[in-house]
Amino acid sequence: MIDPIIVTDLIRVFLVFIIITAAYIISTRNLSSLVTVYAVQSLALVFIALLLFQIEGSTTLLAIAALTFTTKVLIIPHFIGTIQEKIRIKSDIQFHFLTPIKSLFLSVVLMLVVYITFVEIMDGASAPDDLFFFGAVIGISMMLMGMMIIFSRKRALTKVLGFLSMENGALLFGLFITELPFMIEFLVVIDLIILVLLTTILIVGLDSTIEDYHERLQRFHLWEDDLP
Amino acid sequence: MILLMFLVIALLAFVGLIISRNHRQMNTICMVHSLVFALISVWLILSGKIPITSLAFGSPYFFIDHLGIYEVLICTVIFTCAAVYARGYVDGLLESGELEKGSLRVFYLALTSLLIVMVLTFFAENLAIFWICAELTTIISALLVAILSTRENISAAIKYIFIASTSMLFSFVGITLLFEISRSVTGTGTLSWTALLLQAHSFPTGMMTAAFVLVFIGFAAKSGIFPFHTWLPEAHAKSPSAVSAILSGVLLNVGIYGIIRIYAIVHQTPSLGTASSLLVLFGMLTIGIAAFSMIPEKNLKKLIAFSSVENMGILLIGLAVATPVAIFWVLFHIMAHSFTKASLFFSAGILHRQYRNPLSNEVDDDICNVFRYQPLAAWGIIIGGIAITGMPPFPIFWSKLFILLQVGTVSPLALFAMLFLIFIAAVAFGYFVLTTFTKSSEPDKATDIIRFPTPIGMKLPIILLLLLIFITGVAFTTGEVSFITAIQNELMFS
Repeated sequence: MIDPIIVTDLIRVFLVFIIITAAYIISTRNLSSLVTVYAVQSLALVFIALLLFQIEGSTTLLAIAALTFTTKVLIIPHFIGTIQEKIRIKSDIQFHFLTPIKSLFLSVVLMLVVYITFVEIMDGASAPDDLFFFGAVIGISMMLMGMMIIFSRKRALTKVLGFLSMENGALLFGLFITELPFMIEFLVVIDLIILVLLTTILIVGLDSTIEDYHERLQRFHLWEDDLP
Repeated sequence: MILLMFLVIALLAFVGLIISRNHRQMNTICMVHSLVFALISVWLILSGKIPITSLAFGSPYFFIDHLGIYEVLICTVIFTCAAVYARGYVDGLLESGELEKGSLRVFYLALTSLLIVMVLTFFAENLAIFWICAELTTIISALLVAILSTRENISAAIKYIFIASTSMLFSFVGITLLFEISRSVTGTGTLSWTALLLQAHSFPTGMMTAAFVLVFIGFAAKSGIFPFHTWLPEAHAKSPSAVSAILSGVLLNVGIYGIIRIYAIVHQTPSLGTASSLLVLFGMLTIGIAAFSMIPEKNLKKLIAFSSVENMGILLIGLAVATPVAIFWVLFHIMAHSFTKASLFFSAGILHRQYRNPLSNEVDDDICNVFRYQPLAAWGIIIGGIAITGMPPFPIFWSKLFILLQVGTVSPLALFAMLFLIFIAAVAFGYFVLTTFTKSSEPDKATDIIRFPTPIGMKLPIILLLLLIFITGVAFTTGEVSFITAIQNELMFS
């Protein structure tokens, strides 16, 4: 058993690390490093779930860690990486409304707003512990940062990564606030995978002519033309 | 075993679609599938077995209560009409090359999946299961929006996914919070609608308000409430009309259904005041945005889509008032709006086939000599327009009237604001019909237009739905009243 104080400190370190990855996702223009950072962010979430297991001993946390590792560290980044190679987009240099510097500044403001709001509303929660409060605030902040990516980036593929980052925020919030039944967490992840699959397939279409799109879908065995 | 029956029938439909070889077979399977679902729903209602709180299969995550079966009935009627309509309509899309043959099976598989997921959504007893099913409806319907695979359609589908799913993540956080609230009060957390409704009176105000706001964001996006409404006009306008009817008549109901359920829970708590103010504010803004967007609109399907946004706003305000009378007419309005809107989209689909306006394009509708070429569709738009703007003897007249009267008892100012905005929306609709339907083609171009031979299958759903809304507008049976009252009782609004 690791000393609980060390576990708590480690969790804090990972939380800060997660915020840094979220800030990197907001500001970087390189698409392949975006996917890598997302995978690293998800891995940090896996470690947090494992460390929380050390404190709480709930097997659901272990299951969540395994599920997150399989889907968010391995499957989803691999799939997006493959699609990204196929459509040959390397960078996303265009921004709507917000430049990276403004987005980072706004993120800090949002974190403060989330913190103040949480102080107001969390009176009745059964997890008033500092660490859990900190985790929940960072979870919601991450969601808002992910949302900024969706609104400020032009490339749909970057928006998908923003959405995934948001989803990591929701998971983080769930880990610290309460413990939903694992079946629900599992179904949410399945839903996420379907969503990412569909969105990325559609993105291939946005970047192609229609003939090229059909050809690509046929190549990925997602299309058929066998009707009489 | 009822839920299992729905699932087995859906599975049979999937298998049938996979082995079928042509459009006619696929369409027949889809039609039979929807019709059987509709008949089961009618049988369940007439049998008097509702509510079924403990299903042999699917318990405790699913149940069938009055609100659930009511929504399923609306949903299956519209799906059946859409399936009948799709036979001729999809043939037209295939002929014009707007829909690829390769997409046909995907189209019907998506339609069949959407129906079963919708049924599961409305039968979900657990808030998280409902959330997952609602998310699945977004994914499947986005696929249907993108089915024509033009860049514009794909773009509309992606916009829809991002707005709806991003907002639904906030709902998920709200649901997590709600679970924690329930756990902090009872010791064991729950997301069961029924249990939450019974426990709600002891929920802490601050956290309950926060949970409601978060859950509301997601469901508001699903139902096209301002400021999350921007996906709706594009997705409705660019989808094939059979899909537009389902999006407007059924999919928007998913969001409103979620809001009704969560509001029923908040209704038992001290957070009610904040929640109802929020609903009034967003409801009013939604009606306002929709009404003013309708004025310059020159695309018929977009106009009808904005009218859906307006009606969602009316539902929110009716819900906020929350008197038994207001809730009764909100529930009635859901049905009336669904049937009327589906009939309007079906009529618009015929006009699109006639005037060959590609669904994906942004240009104004070029409609002329409409009574010569497509009299049924023209009358469908006129009668449907009269119905949707709230004229007697159609059901929306009654629901709007009583919702407005109830709003008046709470705030005369809100009543006048609503009346003004509803009037603007009605004028915008009337202006569009007057200017478009009175247009004649230039004499030298008159012979260029070839009359689209509208198949009977495309006419039948319009006639059926118009008859249905006329009958529901003039005849209130005691069964109908007691059924809607039972929904109110179950939601503890009475």
